[in-house]
Amino acid sequence: MSALETEIHPDIAARLDDFEALVRLYRPRVFRFALASLRDLDAAETITQDCFLRAYQARERFRQECSLHTWLMRIAVNLIRDRVRNRRLQFWRRAAKMATPVDAGGVAIADRGRSPEAQALLRERVAAIWTAAENLSEKQRTVFLLRFVEDMDLLEIAVATGMKEGTVKTHLFRALRAVREQIGEKS
Amino acid sequence: MIPHLSSQQLSEHLLGQPSVAAARHVRDCAACRAQLERNREELEEFGAAVRAWSAGEADRYQINMAQAAPASAPEPLSWRASRQLAWALLIAAIFAIASLVLPRHSGESAASDAALLQRVDAEVSRTVPSSMEPLMKLVVQEQ
Repeated sequence: MSALETEIHPDIAARLDDFEALVRLYRPRVFRFALASLRDLDAAETITQDCFLRAYQARERFRQECSLHTWLMRIAVNLIRDRVRNRRLQFWRRAAKMATPVDAGGVAIADRGRSPEAQALLRERVAAIWTAAENLSEKQRTVFLLRFVEDMDLLEIAVATGMKEGTVKTHLFRALRAVREQIGEKS
Repeated sequence: MIPHLSSQQLSEHLLGQPSVAAARHVRDCAACRAQLERNREELEEFGAAVRAWSAGEADRYQINMAQAAPASAPEPLSWRASRQLAWALLIAAIFAIASLVLPRHSGESAASDAALLQRVDAEVSRTVPSSMEPLMKLVVQEQ
C-alpha cells in the first residue's frame, strides 16, 4: 500500500454505495493525474467526470481485488489513453497553450532550509524533469506520473494500466533514464 | 567493491528495488549515496510541484466556471431529477396521444355522436336529393 493510500479511511472501501464520499475523497487525485497527463484543464475536468460516471455505472462489478484508488486510476488511464489516441492533434495544439509549473512563476519548491543557490538549482532540475516528462512516450509518462506524482507502487501501477509488473518496470526504467539525461546526468 | 552505480542500478534504487551488491555499494560510496539522494529529492519535489500546480489549477477552474455561469442561472438538475423529469414528460406525451387516438366515452361526446348519427340517418333516408324536394311536393299535391 502506498503512502497516499494510507490516508484513506478504511470504511470507504467497504462503502462503495456512499458514492458522494468516494467522489470527495478521490476526485482531486483523478483530476490531478488527468491534468498532469493531458495538460488541458477542460479535458482533465471531462475525464474526471467521465471516470466517476463509469465507476458509478460499474460499481456493482467492483470486486475489491484492488483498492478503490487503483480501480479509479485504471478507469482514468483508459479514458486518457482513448482521448489522446482519438484527438492527438487537438491535444497537442491545446496543450501547447496551457501554462505549466515551468511557466510564469516557475516551479514552486518548498523552502526546506536550503541555500538560495541550492533552491534555484533544484527548481531548475525539477523544471527539467517536467520538460522531460512531456517528451516521454504515452506509456512511459503514464507510469512515471503514477509512480512519482501519485506515489503508487509497481503492482498498483500494473493493475491501473493493465500491464504486467515487469513491463511497468521497463517503462519506468526508460522514463527515469530519459529524465536523468534531461537533467544532465550520464546514463 | 563494485564500481559506481550504473543508470540501471540507480533506477532500481529509486524504485526501491536495489540488488544486494548495489545496496552495499551505496552504503560504502558517499558519491553514489549523494547522487541517489539528489535524484530522490528532485523526484519528490517534482511530485510535490505537480500536486501543488494541479490543486491551484483545480481551484482556478472552479472559480472560472462560477464566474462564467450567469447569476440568475437556474440550479442545474441532478441526474436523478433529470431522469424523473424525462419520465414525467414521457407519460404526459403518452396521455396526450391516447386522448386523441382512443374513443371518448364522456356523456357530452355521446350525445353529440347521437345527434350526428341522426343527421346522417336523415340524409340517407331521403328518397331524392334535397334540391329536388320542392318538385316532389308538387307531385304529391297533384295526386
